[in-house]
Amino acid sequence: MSLERSIFVDPSRCIGCGACVAACRECDSHRGKSMMNLDFLNRGESTLALPTVCMHCTDPVAPCAQVCPVDAILVSDDGVVHSPDPSRCIGCQNCVHGCPWGVPKFDVEEQLAHKCNLCYDRTSVGLGPMCATVCPSDALYYGTADEVLASRPNRKVVDVFSFGAQELQSGNWVVVPDEFSVLTFPMVGP
Amino acid sequence: MAALVLVALIWLGSNQLANFDSALIGYAVGIVALTYAVVMRYARWLRMPSTGRYWRRGWQLTTSWSSFRTLPGLLPRAIAGQLLLQGFIRRRGWVRWIGHQCLFWGVIGATLITFPLVFGWLAFKLEPGTQEMYRMWVFGFPTITFDSTSFLGWSLFHALNYTAVLVIIGCAIFLWRRFRDRAAIAGQRFGYDMVPLLMLIVISVTGLLLTVSASLFHGSYYDFLVVIHMAAVVLSLVFIPFGKFFHVVQRPASVGIQMYAELNGREGRRPCAKCGEPLAPDLFVQDLQSTLQDLGQDYRLDGASMPAGHLTELCPRCKRVARAEGYFAHDGSSFAR
Repeated sequence: MSLERSIFVDPSRCIGCGACVAACRECDSHRGKSMMNLDFLNRGESTLALPTVCMHCTDPVAPCAQVCPVDAILVSDDGVVHSPDPSRCIGCQNCVHGCPWGVPKFDVEEQLAHKCNLCYDRTSVGLGPMCATVCPSDALYYGTADEVLASRPNRKVVDVFSFGAQELQSGNWVVVPDEFSVLTFPMVGP
Repeated sequence: MAALVLVALIWLGSNQLANFDSALIGYAVGIVALTYAVVMRYARWLRMPSTGRYWRRGWQLTTSWSSFRTLPGLLPRAIAGQLLLQGFIRRRGWVRWIGHQCLFWGVIGATLITFPLVFGWLAFKLEPGTQEMYRMWVFGFPTITFDSTSFLGWSLFHALNYTAVLVIIGCAIFLWRRFRDRAAIAGQRFGYDMVPLLMLIVISVTGLLLTVSASLFHGSYYDFLVVIHMAAVVLSLVFIPFGKFFHVVQRPASVGIQMYAELNGREGRRPCAKCGEPLAPDLFVQDLQSTLQDLGQDYRLDGASMPAGHLTELCPRCKRVARAEGYFAHDGSSFAR
């Protein structure tokens, strides 16, 4: 299972405009709800921001799906980790707290967890996901590693991360400076 | 074992098969096979680390002495809210709720009528010396008598028609949604989402046509319709453990989850190890850590670099922020400093 084209997250390029958050809300597969997470580090003093999309973990496959007690999260053959099936989700929030990236959101009223599904209505027919399509600085880019590396000197792309003692491979990628090694949580550089 | 118990109950409840209608043998075999398959699937489901843990913990909390006082109020409220009234679906949309309520009560009603009839637990017999008076027998015991030509009699004999109409309304609403709602269209799969609706429609329509055939067309095509109806019902029953219908078996777990959350949350939520905001009940965090460990995933953190001992002790936002802080702290070339 691997994504033919993926999202490349480059935190150093994020200008915190929020276009990804707004565009995500327009996706047909979760209309009106944004699955994007955009976090500001020190808003009063800095423009630093980090956009977070689902990384569609491949190894171990989707921890969110593995901790789900009712198999509500489908991982399709193309490697996309889907949003919990509303008919199955029992609102336990295991996925919300089990995801190492902090991606799934929980709607208390609907007792339903939601997460980014890579805009499956679009990406399954060859279109880009909403967030990457509107990102003005390509902090979120949808394409191939070759395309990213060709346009960004002194950068490399990584899909292996360490969260404490756990190593994790993802379907989406993070763009990092050349000197970075495996990114640990919290990332500690080379 | 469960299938054998059911066969024994059929034997006993049908007055040693005296009330068993042999024309319904196909349904009986289908339901016995269904029982076997559902119990097998359920047992496999409980072997999943998270499911098994919730199952054990749910019973532990429910049967604990400390829950004793709150349970009589909590349990009926959870059953009514989660299973019967399904307020959580209403909050996802009124049309969906109406559709689901029609489907739910239609299917429940049909099941409560059909299964006892098939097992011989429920039988209607003509009263001796009368032409129109029938008596209802339940588990071999005589109960009420009624005039079969009265409205009550007609309704009792045709109760499945009422449930069929409810099911057709529910299916129509969901089919309309599956063709019109772009969110539904985006992720739907034919086998998982459409086939169950189509099967329910075939069952309901052929069921109604049996009444139409008998009442208006002197039984034309009745035998053919009986076969089609039975085949659709038995196929649907066998399909239950493998497709969308299995949510009917899984959904009662939401009652357990609500009780787990409420009983567990009485002592408050532990704070996030980084920001201090309420995170989740302590037991929930411990259970999640155990589940991840059972799955072979180790998210223990180095206490020197993080205030948390385990990744699950951080709220989702702090997980993201900690990652961002780490990234920017080491992005030597960044303009962002």
